Amino acid sequence: MDTASFEFVFFGLAVALVSNFSRSRVWRSAVLLLASLAFLGFLAHNPIAFLPLFGFLLLGYAGLVLIEHGWSKSAVWSILAVIFAYIWLKKYTFLPEGFFLHSFYFTVGLSYIFFRVLHLLIEAGDSREKQHVGMGAYLLYTLNFTTLVSGPIQRYDEFARDQFAAEPIPLGPRVAGLQLERIVRGFFKVNVLAMLLNMVRVDALAQMAQPLPPSLKLYAAFRLAAVFPFFLYCNFSGYIDIVIALARLMRVRLPENFDRPFSACSALDFWNQWHMTLSNWLKTYVYNPLLMALMRRVSSLAMQPLLGVFCFFVTFFLIGVWHGRTSEFVFFGVLTGGGMSINKLWQLGLTRAIGRKSYKSLAKNYAYAALGRGLNFIWFAFTLFWFWASWQQIDKVFTAMSVVQWLGVWMAAWLCQAAVLALWEWLRAALLSVKAYGEPVLTSRYARMVYASALGLVAFVVVVLLSQPAPDIVYKAF
Amino acid sequence: MTELDDAFGDQKEAKLPRRDWILLPALGLLTICLIAACSELIARRVFSGSKKSVGSCMVTNDPSTGARGIPNCSVWGKGAESSWVEYRINRCGHRAGMECGPKPPGTYRIVMIGSSVVMGYYVPREKSFAALLPLQLSRETGHKIELYNEGSGWGFSHSTDLRFNDVLKEDPDLILWVLTPTDIQRSSLVLPTADLDPWPNLSLPEKAWKRLQRSLAQGSIMDAVAEAFGRTGTALMLRHFLYKSQSQYVKSFLASGDANAGYLKVEQSAEWKNHLQQFNSDAADMEARAMTAGVPFVAVLVPDHAQAAMISMGEWPRGYDPYKLDNELRAIITSHGGIYIDILPGFRSIPNVEQYTFPVEDHPTSVGHAMISGLLARALSEGTVPALKAASQPQAKLEKQR
Repeated sequence: MDTASFEFVFFGLAVALVSNFSRSRVWRSAVLLLASLAFLGFLAHNPIAFLPLFGFLLLGYAGLVLIEHGWSKSAVWSILAVIFAYIWLKKYTFLPEGFFLHSFYFTVGLSYIFFRVLHLLIEAGDSREKQHVGMGAYLLYTLNFTTLVSGPIQRYDEFARDQFAAEPIPLGPRVAGLQLERIVRGFFKVNVLAMLLNMVRVDALAQMAQPLPPSLKLYAAFRLAAVFPFFLYCNFSGYIDIVIALARLMRVRLPENFDRPFSACSALDFWNQWHMTLSNWLKTYVYNPLLMALMRRVSSLAMQPLLGVFCFFVTFFLIGVWHGRTSEFVFFGVLTGGGMSINKLWQLGLTRAIGRKSYKSLAKNYAYAALGRGLNFIWFAFTLFWFWASWQQIDKVFTAMSVVQWLGVWMAAWLCQAAVLALWEWLRAALLSVKAYGEPVLTSRYARMVYASALGLVAFVVVVLLSQPAPDIVYKAF
Repeated sequence: MTELDDAFGDQKEAKLPRRDWILLPALGLLTICLIAACSELIARRVFSGSKKSVGSCMVTNDPSTGARGIPNCSVWGKGAESSWVEYRINRCGHRAGMECGPKPPGTYRIVMIGSSVVMGYYVPREKSFAALLPLQLSRETGHKIELYNEGSGWGFSHSTDLRFNDVLKEDPDLILWVLTPTDIQRSSLVLPTADLDPWPNLSLPEKAWKRLQRSLAQGSIMDAVAEAFGRTGTALMLRHFLYKSQSQYVKSFLASGDANAGYLKVEQSAEWKNHLQQFNSDAADMEARAMTAGVPFVAVLVPDHAQAAMISMGEWPRGYDPYKLDNELRAIITSHGGIYIDILPGFRSIPNVEQYTFPVEDHPTSVGHAMISGLLARALSEGTVPALKAASQPQAKLEKQR
């Protein structure tokens, strides 16, 4: 149930159907709450396993109640307590082993709950107009089964706007059809595309340790270098497609998490299009406050662009660290933050060297954009080694070939991805330019019906044929 | 069509034209029918098997001997994934590539027993390890070595035991029993009842209906759908491509349940323990008779696709061990005085193990037969059998590679 399986999709559709029996917010909230509790019940059968999670939720709510009752000074302590409880429950390895709970307990979705709880506490502490969040609304917001496992991270005001609206947002056949099509697309992405890409990656990883001729080993390394970002995208965005569509069928709009991330020509753009709710959250609650605080303290105008670079590093370092509790993720954070900082420095340096106007026209240059797209892709792929592999595996992979061979592989991957992604951009634009009645043919409901039927058939056939559990959603683990 | 474009679609919802309520479902249905029909046609064209194959040269209804070859029968057959292959059976009912009878003077004769892998299903005889092994052994030992192949389709352990007198009649200098996990899984099976068409007189739709009824009685609707779809050409074609991936094959195989994959488990089920008990009693009987006849009895396990892939990749899920069955068989064979040779560790150093078997038919390809022959020749000629000793790598070295 915690993945893009038939069971999950049918469960979500059934809940959406029941939720639409009445437009009353009480009915819709009751259905969502019951469905979310049932969903938790499907994930773990022992109620004791939920105690730490409920303790965490209570801690957050207690902080919220204190702030609401005018104890605004408690905001900082509540936030610190929630952060500490999160680190403790997630068993971050920099804490001593004996410090942790050793019995099994439920942590699926804890990271996403953590962001929601922190968001509520920060907003409650900051806001001049106090907004009351009742226990029921708090539980609905934090345990909502559509966003529990892997997000997206929704703001409370957006959630409340739709969930508690006296007149819920409309849901006609057209919208319902679009959502069903999106569910099929998401299901296909996770169960077919991601499965195939993961298969290629696992085989390539195994081949790196086998006595292969150099040409085959180079090919395995190339696949290893190039495939994981696509896999991660299909796996994560496919699941997000499903939950956004299910929520919409329940008349709740979830925020988008992806906007064609591999079309980004730089790391700075990429993180505006990849896992958008996470990067927006961190920009709102880390980057902006940190930059403001530093700018208040550093008066030198010359230093101010560098402050932005520093804040980028801190923000994206935290994104890396959030992903996991081991040193591999700290390094992933260093690489991600470092990449963002270098990209910002490059942007600043080039603007200074050739002027703002020239820089803008260079950024629009087709070849520059294509190479930038390819470079961003392989940099992301490189950093992801610390995302999916342990130090031991990384050592095995990188020592399987010489430095020169690896450089060759990354160079080939860069040029190849630049060409492939440029070709894709061109093809997409060309296909969307074919119009009928002022609308692209490809996005017409007829075309959508054709490809949704085709993708649905293929996904169904592959799932039935392989008869194996649906692939795990990578971001479930965080 | 960005991901944001179609996010909500709730701006101003225009009414859906009435014709679309019919047109859209019809379009969807038409798409599904077209894709299903095209893929099935392509699959049947590319992966076609012959109606007649080696089974038509086998006696499959005599429980006193088990399945055996029809003397002097010859048939051309084609598996869905393989090419056309001739199966020529000699006057003693074996696909031996030679006639039965006394061995030529000065020749060291190995009589090989086992099931379909040994018989060389789906590969030309001259490319099977039964044909390659004596050439390699002769080269390595300097002796004239002949291999008489008594391997037979459905020749699992009990069935082989029933025909063991035929083996001794061939005056062997050595009996080589080449085993596969299927030989243990089906150790008690004498006739191919499980593989034969249970309704030979029914039409295709009637058979499909019967199968559906049977699957529904045994499992859920999803299982029944999976069972029905699994028999289509499309399913075969998809499996053929998906199973070329070692990791995917292993994952699917392990998910197929204990009946198939139980031998890979560290903790074997009662069912597999029963299979091993049956195997043990057959091995004990054959080894005793070989010992009485003064013929060395050697057994070896040839891995199936999943085992070979796991060994080659060097990793497997917790709770599984691809060497488990090998260790069990060694204990059984040596406890009755036989010799056990181990070729499994050799698969660690074989790249591209996906070429070892046909992905779906799960029998070795010509490349796989050559791999097996090489590993067998090395294992046999390193001193375990004194008469076949050649200067080569000791078996202990292979053990160390685990």
